[in-house]
Amino acid sequence: MENLYLPDLAEVISIRDETPDTKTFALRFCDPRRWESFDYRPGQFVEVSVFGVGEAPFCLASPRDGAESFDITVRNAGAVTRALHALDRGEQVGVRGPLGNGFPFDQVKGRDILFVGGGIGLPPLRPLIWTMLAHRHQFSSITVLYGARTPADLVYKDELEAWRARPDMEFMVTVDVPDGNWKDRVGVVGSLFQGVSIQPSNAVAFVCGPPIMIRFVVKDLLDLGLAEDSIITTLERHMRCGVGKCNHCLIGDKYVCIDGPVFTYRQMKTMMDPG
Amino acid sequence: MGEARAYMIGADEISAWVATLLRRAQVIAPRTLHGLDAAYDEIERPDQVAWGYRTTISPLKRQLFPQTDPLFCWHQRAGYGLDLRPIYDQQERVFLAIRPCDLSAVLFLDKVFSRDRCDTYYLARRQHSTLVALACTEPDEHCFCVCAHAGPFLEGGYDVQLTPLQGEYLVEIGTDKGWELVRLAEELFSPAPAKAMQARRELAQQAEQRFSDDKAYFAAALRKVTFDRVPDELWGQMGDRCLSCGACAFVCPTCTCFTTADFDGAGDGVRCRLWDSCLYESYALEASGHNPRAQRKHRLKARFLHKLGYQFVQKLGSHGCVGCGRCVTACLGRNDMTEVTARIRRGAL
Repeated sequence: MENLYLPDLAEVISIRDETPDTKTFALRFCDPRRWESFDYRPGQFVEVSVFGVGEAPFCLASPRDGAESFDITVRNAGAVTRALHALDRGEQVGVRGPLGNGFPFDQVKGRDILFVGGGIGLPPLRPLIWTMLAHRHQFSSITVLYGARTPADLVYKDELEAWRARPDMEFMVTVDVPDGNWKDRVGVVGSLFQGVSIQPSNAVAFVCGPPIMIRFVVKDLLDLGLAEDSIITTLERHMRCGVGKCNHCLIGDKYVCIDGPVFTYRQMKTMMDPG
Repeated sequence: MGEARAYMIGADEISAWVATLLRRAQVIAPRTLHGLDAAYDEIERPDQVAWGYRTTISPLKRQLFPQTDPLFCWHQRAGYGLDLRPIYDQQERVFLAIRPCDLSAVLFLDKVFSRDRCDTYYLARRQHSTLVALACTEPDEHCFCVCAHAGPFLEGGYDVQLTPLQGEYLVEIGTDKGWELVRLAEELFSPAPAKAMQARRELAQQAEQRFSDDKAYFAAALRKVTFDRVPDELWGQMGDRCLSCGACAFVCPTCTCFTTADFDGAGDGVRCRLWDSCLYESYALEASGHNPRAQRKHRLKARFLHKLGYQFVQKLGSHGCVGCGRCVTACLGRNDMTEVTARIRRGAL
């Protein structure tokens, strides 16, 4: 029988600085056969261990392609993330997963796709954006709206430029607090909706960011005319075990780790959570 | 012996049976501690079984889902990276003279740990366990198993159930595993006469009538919790009484919230899971600083939804309370199951 809590060993094969407090790690399983069974969808997550420190959940931040490695993007915020930030290339971590349900993909083919990311909320959307771009003809329009606090807080800066340059998608970025070099928009991510050309009845929005941003963006999207089950988000909770046993991530009767982390706004609305 | 599923054994012979069990397995039974408290603990001799005990201070889950449970260890191999090894407990155990409420709780834990995906750590211990219940003829002061349909006698789920009958024990066999235990010392048992079964039925009825009237009102509480019809003000008032100490969860035979911790020493270490409580302030705290359950009333509400909500009854087959009454003793704020269900029923503190 499968051991739910025993990680597989993986090696850090590259580390990229994203922002002053955020790094992207590319991880590869030490046992190459593990990659074959590691068949994940955008929106799923992994539990990553630094042995001796602990384990924390991270979204799978890269599409599953031929690289035989996967990315996690990590903000230095707690004990495990601090330990991850101290790692060098070649060091070993533990990985359990893929976990959770993942984003719908086949179900949204043919529709106008709108991504709305805030700050460190872009990593969960990134694998879905690239997977949809790889199957571009199967979707109507693709729009990515991204907001961060300051220009320094933008992640995947090279990729943002690549998206901006593509003729087959629309990309807009904004910051709350500009610096001297910032030439682009200023304001909250919701302010970008005015420039978006989508057909609300045919659109589906993927939203990820801090709770306050999600609240405002959902309201904007409903005002635009999107249906409640066409607004899709991925929730963050303190997912300790990732397999529906430890109960830490419960919202009402839903386990974010196994019933989610991806939920529609219609589902979220009925979730009995006090907080 | 053969077809019968019920036998008799004398009080003296039962010690000889326990001695036989001790040669085959670890035996966990109620033992009297300092003072007069009883606890489920390993025994070395048959005379250590506290046959007349009422209840134990902590539930049986401690033996199947330990408070600190090693999951796996790692060690650094020079030049070869890390080596990970799971740590399983496959000790053969007999749980002897377990109260029906505690045994019912084990059946509930079986659901918790095998629902959706199987927890091999719990199941390894469970598969090597045999459960011998001791029916309750005299409920303790705070017991309400009768409201939770978890006692005072069991109608199934046990491997063996013992009922004290005038200096002897009626021995009911529920499973092949139970039969194996009896077969180890067949000569000590004799088939139960029909009048013993009749006496057992009467004892069970009498025991049920010994519970006082004002116990737990599950039906009304289940309905109101399920449909979120408990006034927010009441959650607030109950939250004000909660010390966030976690005692209720630790003494609860069906609570299974856990966290994990790494214990490290010079490249070698072990990851353990540890009991946790959903009433702790940091329970849902995220690394970002966001705490979706910062308020005590919200944590209390989440706890009782998990215990009583029909949403969870659907997942686990029953509500998460067996009426053992331990939270009544443990909670300093009187937020125990009997008080909370009564307050929910009347909609006020």
